Amino acid sequence: MNSSARRSLVAAGLLAPAALLFALLFVWPQFRLLGLSFGNPAPFGLASYERFLGDSYYLGVLANSLALGACVTVVCLVLGFPLAFLLARAETRWAGLLLLLTTFPLWVSAVVRSFAWMVLFYRGGTISRLLQGSGLVPPDFQLLGTFSGVVIALAQVLLPIMILTLYAVIRGIDRDLEHAAMSLGAAPVVALWLVTIRLARGGIMAGSLLVFSLSVSAFATPSMVGGARAHFMAVTIYEQTLELLDWPFAAAISAILLAISLAVALTYGRLLGEGREEAR
Amino acid sequence: MRQGHVSARFGRRTALAAGMGAAAWPLLGGGAAAQQFRGREIVATAFGGPSQDLIQRMVFDKVQQQTGARGTQTPLLSAQAFARMRAEAQAPQIDLFMFSGGQERAAKADGLTQPIPPGRNFGNVPAHLKDAEGHYIAWGLVTEGILYRTDKVATPPRSYKDFFKPEFEGKIAFPHITNGYGTDFLVMLAKTFGGDERNIGPGFDAMKRIAPRATIFRAAAEVQTLFSTGDIWIMPYDGASAMRSSAMGIPVGYSVPEEGAPYVTLMGCVARRSRNADIASAILDGHLEPDVQTAIAQQIGWAPVNTATQLPADVAKFMAPTDKLANLDRDLINASRPAWTERFNREIATR
Repeated sequence: MNSSARRSLVAAGLLAPAALLFALLFVWPQFRLLGLSFGNPAPFGLASYERFLGDSYYLGVLANSLALGACVTVVCLVLGFPLAFLLARAETRWAGLLLLLTTFPLWVSAVVRSFAWMVLFYRGGTISRLLQGSGLVPPDFQLLGTFSGVVIALAQVLLPIMILTLYAVIRGIDRDLEHAAMSLGAAPVVALWLVTIRLARGGIMAGSLLVFSLSVSAFATPSMVGGARAHFMAVTIYEQTLELLDWPFAAAISAILLAISLAVALTYGRLLGEGREEAR
Repeated sequence: MRQGHVSARFGRRTALAAGMGAAAWPLLGGGAAAQQFRGREIVATAFGGPSQDLIQRMVFDKVQQQTGARGTQTPLLSAQAFARMRAEAQAPQIDLFMFSGGQERAAKADGLTQPIPPGRNFGNVPAHLKDAEGHYIAWGLVTEGILYRTDKVATPPRSYKDFFKPEFEGKIAFPHITNGYGTDFLVMLAKTFGGDERNIGPGFDAMKRIAPRATIFRAAAEVQTLFSTGDIWIMPYDGASAMRSSAMGIPVGYSVPEEGAPYVTLMGCVARRSRNADIASAILDGHLEPDVQTAIAQQIGWAPVNTATQLPADVAKFMAPTDKLANLDRDLINASRPAWTERFNREIATR
């Protein structure tokens, strides 16, 4: 046995446990789910898909979820990048602790965190009252049950994921490249734009995709903070599965959500990938 | 209840009272049958929280003492329990299912249940609260009505029409249609305005009039929060929640609407392939003992179904008397649920 064959055998052996688990617990159920989605009418029916795609209400739910994903991603990116940059460039021994602090929202259960937001978002809650006091909203306004409320609550918990991803990438960028740009006459902002942000594209993409896919599929926060009036895909899937017991339809919605998220991820990846080529 | 755990306090004193009540229980089936189920085990679903603790102590522990059958309760909401019953039809992990959403009818129709051998107390349960073929039997009722802040509302509400009084604008909350009480509210509004289960249109029209300024909530856990903020003065819900709120110090009263009080039955039924129907019968019979029925009413707020039970007055005021109940067509409601939910999402739960 030559060494390259042996190496690939070792690689296969190392991959096998995870791959097997993944196939058994993810790929197989996913195919079962896909099969179920064609179960109306059996054995191969498209009624569930027609029902979803032919109905402006459900298309609206889909649009709502995608908009939620986009908004949360933008908020996390805008808030997360400066913080990640600062943490990555901080020359203090507290940097590790600061990074740890940013992960705090992840330490609390989604239900507890959502309840906390609900208390703040009620008509008489601190944040809603602040907004009422500012005169920007009607006097009986409450953030609870609004799209913005869900974006705020989700952005809070997904921000650490964005920061951690960006931090790792920005740490890996050679500072001398920025210095070189600046010594050649680029203003710091220009150097940041031309060098740092372009080199951090991979991190921006990975962070955005993680945040996007986690927000379009989020259930607890949209269901609790969004309440009855905010309609999202995951909440609709829950309702169809457990309340109305229409499993084929629920499976079809899941399949559509998966397909659209994948398509968005691939498109986004390709766009950023092309950008990277161009940057070279 | 149907949507989450019951949150009443279950103190040491009540636990003691419950224990003493249980001690007064007559032996199941006499001494000869003692330990007849020794070494066997039964798994039942439960509604969680203090009701589960109470029932564990007063029913399951007692049955174990007297028959030797070990019982385990697992908290599961009715819809989830039914999904589980369907998924595990061939090899049930759970023997005894407790439903509060009328799922027992669908379960029987789908062939997921089996007849339960009758217990001593089964005869005291009115005929409309049990299956003629013995596939399910009720052991408690949750009576619905109108809950209101007694300190903010001068005249107690008497009718579903009171939700349209101008002074309640912006002060109303009602449950989402996937919460069973939300469905019942819709049906009662329909009945109030000339419709019924078959003609639900007037219900949706009425609901549409109050929905824009109302708070729509999903979980039972939100009832107390909503009342305690002071923003919400009136909502359709169950008497048990009023009792719980008032025990927590929030001034919430319960009134029986003149159109009648819808109610929820707490039903037990046994999975078709379970081999423990005999133990399940003993468990359900234990639920129906008058002292257990009284304890459940006092501590949880669920009304008794055993007609031999006598309730104290301070408990009875949170429950609708049996002659004020509104009997809704649950089969029709269940059959209409998907369509109504769609319509609710489109017409009521909008921004």
